[in-house]
Amino acid sequence: MRTSRFAAAGALLALAVAACGGPPAGTKGAAGAFEITKDTPPAKGPVDTVTWSLYAEPQSLDYAYAFDYPPNTVLANVCEQLMRITPDLKVEPGLATAAEAPDPKRWVYTIRPGVRFHHGSTLTADDVVASMRRHMDPKVGSYWVSVYRNVERIDKTGPMEVTVHLKKPDQLFNEEMGTSAGTIASAASLAKEGYGTPDVGVDCTGPFSLDSWQKGQSITLKKFGGYWDPSLAPKANTIRNVFIPDPAARVNALLAGEVDGGYLLPSSGFPKLRTATSGTLYFGPNTTAVNLIPTDLKGTLGDVKVRKALSMALDRDGIIRAAAGGVATPAKAPGATGAWGIAPEAAKEYYAKLPALTRDVAGAKKLIEEAGATGKKIVMATSTLSPEIGVIANAVQSAGQAIGLQVELKAVAPEAYTALFSDPKAREGIDLVMTIWYDSTPDPLEFYGILTTGDFANYGGYSNPEYDALVDEANAQADPAARAATVARLQEIAVRDVVWIPLYEVPHSMFLNKRLTGAPTGIAQLVFPWGAPLGSAG
Amino acid sequence: MTAVPVHRRGLLAPLARIARSDKLVTAALALLALLIAAAALAPLITQHDPDAVDLSATLSGSTPEHLLGADQSGRDVLSRLIYGARTGLLGPLMVVIVSTALGTLLGVAAAWYGGVVDSVLSRAMELVFSFPALLLAIILVAVLGTGLTAPVIAMSVAYAPYVGRLARGVALQEKARPYIQAYRVQGWSGWVICVKHLLPNIAPLILAQSAINFGYALMDLAALSFLGFGVQPPTADWGAMINEGSPSLLQGAVLPALAPGVAIVVTVVAFSVVGESIADRVARREQR
Repeated sequence: MRTSRFAAAGALLALAVAACGGPPAGTKGAAGAFEITKDTPPAKGPVDTVTWSLYAEPQSLDYAYAFDYPPNTVLANVCEQLMRITPDLKVEPGLATAAEAPDPKRWVYTIRPGVRFHHGSTLTADDVVASMRRHMDPKVGSYWVSVYRNVERIDKTGPMEVTVHLKKPDQLFNEEMGTSAGTIASAASLAKEGYGTPDVGVDCTGPFSLDSWQKGQSITLKKFGGYWDPSLAPKANTIRNVFIPDPAARVNALLAGEVDGGYLLPSSGFPKLRTATSGTLYFGPNTTAVNLIPTDLKGTLGDVKVRKALSMALDRDGIIRAAAGGVATPAKAPGATGAWGIAPEAAKEYYAKLPALTRDVAGAKKLIEEAGATGKKIVMATSTLSPEIGVIANAVQSAGQAIGLQVELKAVAPEAYTALFSDPKAREGIDLVMTIWYDSTPDPLEFYGILTTGDFANYGGYSNPEYDALVDEANAQADPAARAATVARLQEIAVRDVVWIPLYEVPHSMFLNKRLTGAPTGIAQLVFPWGAPLGSAG
Repeated sequence: MTAVPVHRRGLLAPLARIARSDKLVTAALALLALLIAAAALAPLITQHDPDAVDLSATLSGSTPEHLLGADQSGRDVLSRLIYGARTGLLGPLMVVIVSTALGTLLGVAAAWYGGVVDSVLSRAMELVFSFPALLLAIILVAVLGTGLTAPVIAMSVAYAPYVGRLARGVALQEKARPYIQAYRVQGWSGWVICVKHLLPNIAPLILAQSAINFGYALMDLAALSFLGFGVQPPTADWGAMINEGSPSLLQGAVLPALAPGVAIVVTVVAFSVVGESIADRVARREQR
């Protein structure tokens, strides 16, 4: 009893002390200025062990299910693709020395000779065919199946040649071969039951091989001595990826030097990481945009005026301050500007022509009245999965109420929030979800292509024949500049029709201990072997 | 009319006596009364709508506008704290009412009937004891969905044996007393004796246990909300507020998480002080 009285007295004292002050000056309101750094200085020497933090344990290391940050961060060092997406978001030859399109409905890949798998076998066309066909096997249930939607068949057309026959022209397919959709594993390992699990592991060709997977703790990679590319020969002997789900624990581990680095850091930790003496916080190029997705275009949000009004009512600057710690820029389009790697300069012009999204609550209210939607209900999903989901949901509710909409927040369990993006039943009764969406390729068609009729990720069921025709047209254009111009028209339509409601774009974040350098800062780390150039800083 | 003297102790009489004699208990009771009043009158006494978002006030510290600051969404922490008292007190109250009723029924039945009934009910209570309350709640949440209902049902079941074991023990002692024997000799039914005489006499001890249980239930329900299984956002709830406020700790904003934490600690301690004081007093009286 005495202990409990002390507890109460202590708690009250703590509250009194805390009430005297808020967050440190400069952290609570002002938008955090940030600078994009494409690279870190090259490493000066080797290191023995690097400890890297992941915010979650991968559920699998099977490339067919690598659709999220943690598995891709690990696999980027272990497995390679037919094409390679570089840190500056260019698509180059990877395990294929050449990719040719003799006609619009064929991709012919010449397989790189002399490449060894971690378990000792040599890469052949059989491995490529087995790895690619797997995505089309319904029994596998690959998360990358949509990349293969235009594929008719995949044939071995030579000892070191594979031909992909398409149902219709698909330029994006070749770029997707730089993502997990183009990952190549040995055919023998794929035949094993439980490929990608902690017990079975994986067999790929990357600069690091899988050494051990301690469930719930870490995945350790070791340097692969037989790696084929001398320009990416690893400087570290081992990389130990540790799982630290709690944001505060992760930030503190970085500050204390217990872990050497990590990607995709919590924005709440930016103020402390910026001033850390143990290392440097970097912001790198990104293809990520934060959007609201109207998931039911037959409901209240089916009227474009209502979607536009909701967009007009949002306080994007305030949302960026509250949800992203100020480290973001307001977005005018749902596709990230960073995802226009095929034509970055032209993209700036296309983007500049888009109408500005300025906050206009009175105008939004008028639009709602014109649409006859005053008092109508919208259900938005919210979750404790990450802080920004709740903050954005609260902001949307506030904005909706200000213009006469009734925004009801439906709490979704953290583990169920992900299902909103894969299971149509999970979205039943929900009109709006918030998403942090990244593109895997530097081609904006990847994003705008998902808004075609019937696409798996076209969650709201948007359907526009003109739009669908333009997607097909862009996908048949081999010239990147011409394709980008067509995608710009898609962007205009998507913005005009407010198919998704853009909020903001965020840079990719990375913290690196001062003893290390060399790792790329951008989102390409999800497919590029970021651990290979990582070495000693001095 | 009966020749047997009626032994009856007033249900709330110990509270009044303790409050008069112990300043700490008086303070605890006053605090609890204040909390209940604040919860009941929340719409009248709060300065802000607990769900009103003001993104310009994000993580502001204590200001005249927001005495306990604002959370990450710019919502007034004090207003949410006061509204949070509603779910914070209502949930444990439901748990205590149901678990007390269930536990008392089981405990008194086991003591009164004895034999096989006692053995079966005692083993059943031990079985529930062996199952972690939070785990039971999480399983029920999986079946019934998130919200207050599943955790309250789970906690009610989990807490019933605490009351049941106590009720059985004191009922056995009470059953052996001469006045109970006298009622039986007079031919009163067991039901009437239990309801009219036995229960009122063991009530103060059960009340003490229930007061202590209230604090524990409050903590457990807050823990479930913190973990995302209980009350769901944006509803103001102390456990959920700690969850929502914890990311802000990294940014140096302590109040969004600390304020509900302090509210939980203070409320739990207040209930413990009251409950243990009642128990101490009853124990001293029994010794005399």
